[in-house]
This record gives sequence, C-alpha cells and structure tokens, in this order.
Amino acid sequence: MTKSAIATDNLSKSYGSTLALDALSLEVAAGEVFGLLGHNGAGKTTTVNVLTTLLEPTQGDAEVAGHSVIADARAVRGAIGYLPENVQFYDNLTLIENLRFFAELSGLRRPDQRIRDVLRILDFEGRDRQRLGTFSKGMRQRVGIAQAILHAPSVLFLDEPTSGLDPEGVRTLRETIVRLNSEFGMTIFMNTHLLSEVTKTCTSIGILRGGTLVHHDTLAKTLADFPGEDSLEEIYFQLESEPVS
Amino acid sequence: MNTFLVSARHEMLNTRRARTAHILLIVFIGMVIASSVIGWVTNQTVTGVYNKVVADGLTTAPNPFAGVSPLYYARNAVIYVLLIGSLMAIVLGVQATLRDRKASTVDLVLSRPVATPARLLGQLAGLAVVLAAVIAISFSVSWLIISIINGAPLGWDDTGRVIAFGSLSWVLLTAFALLGMLTGLRSKQETTALLVPFVIWSAVAFVLPQIGTAARPVALLNPVPAVASTGGYFDVVSAFTGPLSLTEQFKRASSMILQDPNVTGEATSSILILLAFLVVMTVVVVVTPRNRMRSGLNE
Repeated sequence: MTKSAIATDNLSKSYGSTLALDALSLEVAAGEVFGLLGHNGAGKTTTVNVLTTLLEPTQGDAEVAGHSVIADARAVRGAIGYLPENVQFYDNLTLIENLRFFAELSGLRRPDQRIRDVLRILDFEGRDRQRLGTFSKGMRQRVGIAQAILHAPSVLFLDEPTSGLDPEGVRTLRETIVRLNSEFGMTIFMNTHLLSEVTKTCTSIGILRGGTLVHHDTLAKTLADFPGEDSLEEIYFQLESEPVS
Repeated sequence: MNTFLVSARHEMLNTRRARTAHILLIVFIGMVIASSVIGWVTNQTVTGVYNKVVADGLTTAPNPFAGVSPLYYARNAVIYVLLIGSLMAIVLGVQATLRDRKASTVDLVLSRPVATPARLLGQLAGLAVVLAAVIAISFSVSWLIISIINGAPLGWDDTGRVIAFGSLSWVLLTAFALLGMLTGLRSKQETTALLVPFVIWSAVAFVLPQIGTAARPVALLNPVPAVASTGGYFDVVSAFTGPLSLTEQFKRASSMILQDPNVTGEATSSILILLAFLVVMTVVVVVTPRNRMRSGLNE
C-alpha cells in the first residue's frame, strides 16, 4: 500500500447477506479534501465507519494515517478525528465539560489550553460554560468539529457535516473545513449530499453506487472531462446512471 | 489521564447532573431517616405500654427493649436498601450505558483510542463512587439520629457495625447497578432495558425467597431453620434457591451485623455469595464487545 493519508485495498463490508461495500480500492493523498458522493444507501457511512474502525471490514484492509484499520485499529483512532451524522453530546454537561471529556479520552493530559485554542478557532469564546442542551443545530455541528480536532488529528472524517443546517450554518461550516485543511494541513474525508458544497471545498471526489466506487478523480479533472455539462450535479447524475464497468 | 479515570469522572458528573438521580437520592435518604425514627417510635410505644402494664401490676417480666442494641433503630434500613436502594442502583446503571446508545455518543467515544473494558470499568467505578456517597450520606444521618435518640454518640463497636452494614449495602447496590448496566448494553429497547432488571430484581427479592421458604415449611413456623431441619427434598430445593436469593443473603448478613437477636449463625457465607455475584456481574459487563456497545435502539 502507498503512504497516502487513506488507502483502501479491496475493502468490503456485508451486513448478513447484504453487501454494503464492494471491494473498494481508493487512495486519498495527504492534504486533500475528499468528497464521497452517492445516493442514500450507497455505502458512504459504512465506508466512514470502517475507516474510523467503528466497523470491521468483512474483507480487504485499509490504511489510515499509515496504520491498518484491522491490525492497528488503536493507532488509527489516535490519528483521526470523526464527526458522525447528526452528532449528539451530553446535553446535561457544558461545552467545556463535553470537550474536556473527549480531549482526555484522546489522551491529552492538560487539555484546557488546547480546548481554548479550538474554541477560538471555531468562534465559541464566552460560551464554554453553557450546557450543550441549549445549543442550536448549527452550533452543535461546530462543537462536533471541535471535538474532532481537539487532538490535532492528521485525518478528519466528516459524515454529512452539513445535514440539517441552515444556509448560514452551511457557510460557516464550509469556511471551517477549508480553514482546517489550508491552515492546519488536515486531510479531510467527507460524505455529503450537497454537491454545491463539494464544488467549493473538495479537491477530489469519489462516487459510490450500491457499494461500488464508480468514479474517483480530482474535482478539476472531473469537471474538465465533462466539458458539455454545466455543473457537478449534471456530471454526478450522468456518472450515477452509467453501467458499472 | 487514562480511559478508566476519565470515564469514572465523567460518569460521576453525568449522574450528578441527572434529575432522576437527585430524586432517588432524596427518597433513599428520607427512607433511611424514617427507618431510625420508626424504630424510635416503636421503642417509645412499646416501652410506654410496658410501663403501664408494670404500673398496673400485670407483669414482672423485663422491658422487651432492655438490653437491645441501639442499632435496632436502623433495622428497617435493611428493607429500604433492598427496595428503594436496589431500584435506584438499577436505574443509575441502565442510564450509564443506555445514555451513550440513545444519543449515539458511543461512536464519538469508540472512535478514540479507548479500550472498551477500561471504559466500562471506569463507568462502573464512577457509579460505585456515587452509590458509596449516597450510602455514606444516608448512614451518617442514620448514625446521627440514632445517637440523638440514644442520648449519646454510638460507640466504636456500633459505629463499626454501621460502617460494615453500609459496606455490605454498597456491594449489593453496586451489583444491581451492574445488572442495570448490562441490560442497558444488551437491550434493544429503552423500556426493556429498565423492565428486565426490575423483573430479575423482583424474582431475586420476592420469588426465590418464597420458593426457599415454601420448600422448608417448618421454617415458616420457626425462624431458626437449622433447629428444625426437614431434610430430603426441601433441603435440596433450598440449597439451590438459597444462594440465588441475594436479597435474603443480604437481609441475613445485615441482621447479624446489626445484632438482630432473632437471627443467629454466621454472616460469612452470605457475604461471600454477595461478593461472588458482584464479581460475576463485573466480568459479564466488562467483556461486552464494541459492536454491542454501539448497537442502536429499536425505537
């Protein structure tokens, strides 16, 4: 396998007799913002769950930040940040209590300075004593980013990060993602339905259909390869409908 | 800080903030205080009647409370630990493990370099500290009230017995908290996560002791079964159901610790059975696989 930030080799995952991910082989270079597209049920969340070691693959292997998700899952967990879809927290606890818990679980010994830095990056200053139960959906999503980057991971997994956000929330989150990639050099692997956001944030894309990767290339090359199409949306639907080779 | 300590501290914080825990704590402390007061009122009433009977020249027998240990006043606390305390521990245990599954925060936890046994043991340690605090507060209040009723602070021996009773209560409640944690991890629905341990608790607290007693009919008449052994079939059934009647074991050991004159024998076997239950439950909870911890609820 290569020294890419993420490299999967013939990765498959079945739930009983249902094949959710079929022999996925994919590389994401360090420093990229990768967008994984696909309809509901295409296997996007399964892919992220396997790469974050929440699920064990049925077949194949993957390396994340240079560690195997099977043989060295603990090292993978130490190197990644993860924001699940519809992220939830301990609503009885304050923002800082939630973040301190996740920072300490990640192995940070004296996390308070790091938490303050992250709160500044995400514009949460002055809210650290508020209980999470009082936060809006958009704010919770940003807290989700905060907990994911506390330990300065080299790879960040975002599962539908803009799901349920209003336009302002989407914009703020997009700016955060771009900043994390450009300023802190994080490799970002993102599942999303919002193709307009992919155009604005991703450097490369992949399209999953029924668990099979039907397209993988840089965004620039993908757009260049379809000169007649007006938008990524048109390209997406065209690729989605093509027969699998 | 390692996963165990982080999880323990987090569990204590979460439990401290939960309203249910506050309500149960208040009820439990209230019942333990009531237990001492009821014991004192009983003493006053019986002594009052006794004095009247003696004054009327109807008896020369000694006051039935003469020579009774002041710990007699705490005797009802045994029942409150069994009834209110066990239910409180089950609810706290279910909440501890179900909380992460309900809110899906378990994925945030397990995506970190966390060993699941350390995580679960940490949660258990946090709950155990909370239960120890509840028992310490309740029994301190109980000690104070008994001392007031007694007109003098309890001596070292009686204080030691109160501490021993509190420790045994902690073992029982922690074991029931583990039962709650287990069903919180294993159940597919929130309602079954609560119902199953309540059913098990009912069986352990009410059904098994009934089977044991019914299997030794002489025991219904004689509070000291060893004196009137029925032998044969009844002994066999009782030998099987006895160790499983954890609440009966607790009652027996507690009564001896509190110097109840109606109970004789030694408490060691009962204490060992309770400790064995605690160890077995700990092992069963700690070996829960990661996939089980993050399984969703069907609701």
